[in-house]
Parts: sequence; C-alpha cells; structure tokens
Amino acid sequence: MAQPVVSLQHLQKRFGHFQALKDVTLTVNAGEVFGFIGPNGAGKSTTIRTLLGILKKSGGEATIFGKDVWQDAVWIHKRLAYVPGDVYLWPNLSGGEVIDFLLKLNGQRHSAATDALIQDFALDVTKKCRTYSKGNRQKVALIAAFSTAADLYIFDEPTSGLDPLMEAVFQKHVRALKTAGKSVLLSSHILSEVERMCDRIGIIRAGEVIETGSLADMRHLSRTQIKVTTSQDPSAIQQLAAVHGFTQTGSQISFAVDSEQLNTVLTALTPLGIQQLQSTPPTLEDLFLRYYHQQEAQS
Amino acid sequence: MMTHNANVGQLLHLNLRRDWLKLALWLIGLVGLMGGAAAKFNGLYGTQTAMRSIITTLKAPAMVSLLGPFTAAQPYTVAGIYAAEMMVFMGLFVAMMNIYFAIHATRQDEDSGLVELVRAHATGRNAPLTAAILELLLLNLTAGILEALSLQVSGMHGMTTVGNWLFGAGLAAFGLMFGAFSLLWAQLADTSRDATMMSYVWLGSLFIARMATDVQAPEATWLTVYGWIEKLDIYATDQWLPVGLMLAVTVVLGVLTLAVTQNRDVGAGLLPQRKGRQGASVWLNSPLALIARLERTSTLIWLFGLGILGATYGSIFGTAGDLLTSNPTMAKLIGTAATHAANRTIVLAFTNKLAVIFVILATLPGLSTLLRINADERKGYFEALHARNVSRTRLYASIAVYGLLVAVLAFFCGMVGMIAAGQAVMPHAPTVSHLMRAFWGYVPALIVVYGLGACLVGLLPRWQSVIWIWPAYGFFSLYLGSLLDLPQWATRLTPYGWINNVPVAQVQWPTAAWMTLLGLGLILCGGCAYANRDLMVN
Repeated sequence: MAQPVVSLQHLQKRFGHFQALKDVTLTVNAGEVFGFIGPNGAGKSTTIRTLLGILKKSGGEATIFGKDVWQDAVWIHKRLAYVPGDVYLWPNLSGGEVIDFLLKLNGQRHSAATDALIQDFALDVTKKCRTYSKGNRQKVALIAAFSTAADLYIFDEPTSGLDPLMEAVFQKHVRALKTAGKSVLLSSHILSEVERMCDRIGIIRAGEVIETGSLADMRHLSRTQIKVTTSQDPSAIQQLAAVHGFTQTGSQISFAVDSEQLNTVLTALTPLGIQQLQSTPPTLEDLFLRYYHQQEAQS
Repeated sequence: MMTHNANVGQLLHLNLRRDWLKLALWLIGLVGLMGGAAAKFNGLYGTQTAMRSIITTLKAPAMVSLLGPFTAAQPYTVAGIYAAEMMVFMGLFVAMMNIYFAIHATRQDEDSGLVELVRAHATGRNAPLTAAILELLLLNLTAGILEALSLQVSGMHGMTTVGNWLFGAGLAAFGLMFGAFSLLWAQLADTSRDATMMSYVWLGSLFIARMATDVQAPEATWLTVYGWIEKLDIYATDQWLPVGLMLAVTVVLGVLTLAVTQNRDVGAGLLPQRKGRQGASVWLNSPLALIARLERTSTLIWLFGLGILGATYGSIFGTAGDLLTSNPTMAKLIGTAATHAANRTIVLAFTNKLAVIFVILATLPGLSTLLRINADERKGYFEALHARNVSRTRLYASIAVYGLLVAVLAFFCGMVGMIAAGQAVMPHAPTVSHLMRAFWGYVPALIVVYGLGACLVGLLPRWQSVIWIWPAYGFFSLYLGSLLDLPQWATRLTPYGWINNVPVAQVQWPTAAWMTLLGLGLILCGGCAYANRDLMVN
C-alpha cells in the first residue's frame, strides 16, 4: 500500500496537568475522505491543531506526507489547505482581501476557479470582515481553501454555521476534490454529512480514538435492526444469543441482531415461514451512540 | 427611563467584580504618587534658597511647556510649588485612566460579544452605558477623596484643607470629563481600538494646545479645556469655577452620549462605514505587508502626532533659549558670544528632557504592535495564517521588525519636528548633528525596552501586559525624577535611565553598542521561545 498522507501514532497532548489527547492513532490514505467524529471536547480540534504545528505534541508520532508536523510545518503547509472550526478574520479587511491574501501566501493567485467559488457560495466579498456572520466568515475560509491547489484538505466542523443550501455546495466541492484524487480530513459532528461523504471514519472519545474503519466495517461490528412477520409463532427467536431488544406483537417481532450472527438468526427464522422482512442497517448515529454507551458502561 | 436602564445595578456589580484589581492598581498608583510626592516636598524645598532656585526653574518657558505655568504669588510655599509641578502631570495620568475604563466598559465588551449576551436578557438598552458611567463616577469619586486625604496627612508646609479638597475634586472632575469624552467617541467609532485611538488623539491635541498657549499666550489656555486644570490656582486663590466648568461639560457630554446611543446598533459606530475592496492590492502578499496594512492608520497617526508634538516643543526654543529677556543682567555681564553659548546650553538641556518624552511615547506604538502577536492569536485571526506557507519565525520577524521600525521612526519624527521648528525660531541654535545626539543616544534604550517586550511575548504570553510598566515608570521617573530628587538607582530601573545626558554630553558609543546588542538579543530570545511553544488558542 502507498504511504499514508496523514499518520498519527499514539499521539498525546498535555496542557499542564490536563491530558487533552491520550492516544490518537489514525491514518488518512491518499485519495480518501476521512471522517473524524466525536462530541464536543473530545479532542478533535486539538488533534487538528497539533497536525498543523500550532500546538506541540507531548508524545507519539505525527506525520503528514511522511514529514514531522512540527519540524517540517512550513514544507507541509505548502501542500495543505485548512478551514478552522471558528473562523475569525481581521475585522478591517474585506472578505475579498483576505481570500487573495491567503492565496498569495501559498504562492497562488485569484483565479477563475476562485470567482466561481465566490459565485457558488454567494458571498459579497466587498464587505468588511467585522460585518460577516459566522456562516459568511466560514465561506471566506472555505473559498480560500477550495481554490488552493493542495494535496490534503483539512476541515474542522466546516458547516456548523452554513445553511442547508450551502452545506450542499460544500459537499459538492468535497466530492470534486475526491474525484480529483485529493485527500480530505473532515472533522464533524453532523453525522449524516460524514455518512454521505466519507470513505473511512475515526471516532474519538475523551482524547482516545476508539474505532477506525469504513462504515461497512463498523456496521459489521454492530447490530442490524430486523422487523419480521412469520406464519408460525416466532417467540422462540428470543432465546438466541445474538438477539437483543426483542419485542413481539402477534406474529410480528422486532429485534436487533449482532451483524456477524445474521446468518444464524435467518436460518432459525426460515422454517417459521417468513412473510415480511425489513432490515435496517445501523446509522452512524446508532453506531456512535452505541460506542459511547459501551465505553461509558466500561468506565 | 426605568426600562432603558433595567438591571443596571447587576451590570455595575459585575463590572466592578471583573475590574477590581485594575481599579485598585490605578488607585494605589495615583494616590501613592500624590501622597508620596507631597510627603517628600518639605525635605526638597523646605529652605528659602531651594525654593528660590526651583521657582526660577519653574518660571523658565521650557518648564512651563512641560509642567504648566507657575502662577503662585509671594510669599511662596512648598505647597504652591507642589501644585505647580504636579497638576498638569497628574491630569495626564487621570485622563489616561478614564479613557481606559470608559472604553473597556463599553466598546470592548461589545467587540467581544458580551453585550449581545447581556442585552438578550432583561437588561435595558442603555444599561451597559449607564453602568459604565456609574463605574467612572465611582472611580473618580474614590480617587478624588483618597487623593485629598493623602494630601491632608502629608503635612506639607503651606497647604490648606480647602486646597487639598480642591485638588482632589479638580482631578476627579477632570478625569470624569475625559471619561465622558471617551464615552462619546465610543459611540462614533467602529471598534474599541478606534475609540481608544480617537480618545488619545483628542487628549494629545488638547495637551499640545495647552502647552503652546501656556508659553505664548496664557490667557488663551482657557480655550484648550485641558488648561482648566491649571486655572484651579490651588493653595493660592483656590478657584472652584474650573471644577464647575468641567462638571458642566461632563453633564452635556453625558446627555449627548445618551442621545446618540439611541440610534446606534450594538457593535457598530455612528460614523459611516466604507465598503471594502473587491480583492487584495498587489503588494498585500506577505505577513509583513499584512501587519503594515492592519496598522496603517495607527502608524500614520503616531508618526504625524509625534512630529507635531516635536514641532510644538521646538517652536518654544526661541523663548526658552533667550537669556537676554529672561535674565538681562546676566546676559549683559557675560557678553554676546557667551550669551549665545549659554542659550544653546539651555536648549540642549531642554532637548534632553524632550528626547526622553519622545522616546517613551515612540515605544508605545512599537510595543502595541508587538503584543498583537498573542492578542490576535487568541482571537483566532492567525489560525488560517499558520496553516499556510508561513513559518512562525517569519511571522514573528515580520511583526517584530515592523513594530521596531515604527517605534524608531516615530522617535525620529519627534526629533526632526523639534529640530526643524527650533532651528526656525532660534537664532544661533545648536547644530542639527549636535541635537541629534539625543536621538542616537536614546534609540538603544528603546531597543532594550522593545526587546524586553519581545521576551515576554515569547516566554510569558499571559503576562505580556506587564511590559507597560517600563514606559509608564520611565516617564514618571525621568519627567519628574529630578524635581522629586529620586535616587540614581530608582531612575536606573528602566533602560531609559541608563543613558547619559545627551545631547549636552557626547553619545557614549560603547554603551549604545552593547545596549543595542542586548536589545536585539532579547528580540531573538523572544522569537526562539515563540517558535517552540504552543500558540495561544481561544
């Protein structure tokens, strides 16, 4: 396999006595969109700021394009574009000035693509930044990032201030990046967005990455919700070890089943005469909540 | 009216709780300065000879321009000298204190979004402004009372109870008036930064007008507003009229402010806003250009302001260095050539005092640019920058170089303004290169103070504001130090005090060299620390 674009091995970060990151291990491969999810305060932004060399790691290893994120920050940043979670811009510059300035820092120019992006995001670039709303400030950063020719794009909760229309525009442009073979690290807690766009997902909780993998992998490790109507009495299904949350109304039963045991349960169901069967794979939200409750129960 | 000010008590309580340390430090500083100096004055000017010599000094035009006119009539008292020396100077500090708290309690809270949160609750439209007014009232009242009490217990010869209370009341009214001006500017300006800038431009203009009228046309000082504080005539005729005038202006300003605030949106000023540029100009392409663009207005104001201040001081060289008028007997006695030489010596000694003022003022814009590194980072402005092709070293170097350049240039403007005006009005003035010794002499001190600031920025970002102590104390110790007879170690606490008596004496090049190296070393130190720590994040 080719070298990963981003590689974090047991990354740690302490602020005084507070351990913000305990063990963050993840990789982003070339050409993939990686979703980074976790609740507020779990360490998403701290991880990203460490990746950018804004914070200095306390332990572990962190590389982008195979280079150390602290030592070779500037070299890395030539091939990287970033949109912070909270965008703050110099209040007395106009949006247009900021976009051009940020582009020039990476040796790039305001191009036709930049104009197209400004159109797409419907931004009035002549306004001073202090008059922009949160969403409009995010648009400025997004336009600057999307019109930068980079190999890795990092977005930290980029759509938290955008309306659904603009969210769609954002997703369109991320898909275009993916088609062009670029890598994307997308941190978010809007799970539907991650579910729709990401190839692989990492879940962080209290400074630890507790799961990484594709959505399919994660679904496999999780439970599928089954609703079934049979011609014979299905109550015996309740006895199977893989079945959870069993409820019955007449001949209709509904339960959750461990995904890897699906075959066993279906084999048991078939002789009962299946009349109707509905299976719902777990949404990312289900997965997320399940991981959390599991961890909470452990700790 | 009640609904406009709903919950103002709660807000005031909160403001006081938040600001108590700053309020306490200002009060201790002011009252300590007043009482401490007063307690020392008997020892300094207790004898008739000492009194006579200081009065000759105070009557010289140069001293009038610095401290205000000496108007007391015979018999002279220690208290009379004290009032003449301290009034204008204390007024400056009190005005600065009020500008700070006026802007802090109004626009700064709006800029940070606090007022939005507060106003969404059951608080009145005017409540934040009223709370600010009440805070200023309380502050000045307390300061006035404490100042008067500190004078009462000082035991200064010739002081009167009426004079002491007039001193306190005068400073309180003076402070309130400048606080009220700032509250008005706060309604007009777009941001707290602009409001602060407008306040200082206003204070600076009035101070310069006061200085010019005091020397050339004392009656016109009534028109300068700032000059009212001199007209109190404390420990002599004790005039209460200026206090009434100041309070009247304060009330008028307060009414005006409350009227205009009705039409103002939270977070915006009343002055019209221009539209921004469509794109960046060609030269906005580096961190250095960004800093220059962000600081443009303030840099121009500082350079221009110091130039004007210098020219105003320079324009009294003719009067200051004119022994023939001020001491004709002596002039006749020593002859024309010697008189010219004596005149030049007076002007050179005066230039030393002025250079100290210019260099300390010039330090301020430099430090304020330098402190932007952490301030802007905390606000999140630089986050997008750090993710770009910009190393920390480059960002730090850009800001440090720009700040130092502005500081040195501002000092240069002050000196050039002074020299140009001085040469124009004074026949047989000292040569330009002779006067410029003061510039070369004091630039190294500026660099050292700047370097200390850079070290704090890099090593102790949370404590960076501590740096303001150096220029503030330097100003006090060198402006008033010789009149208060401060011991040498006390003036040497700041790098400004390490410089010899230029331009009267030669520049000590070895000292200049090692101080410059020390300053540059400190700047490098700060840069290394900055490049190797976590950045400030919000």
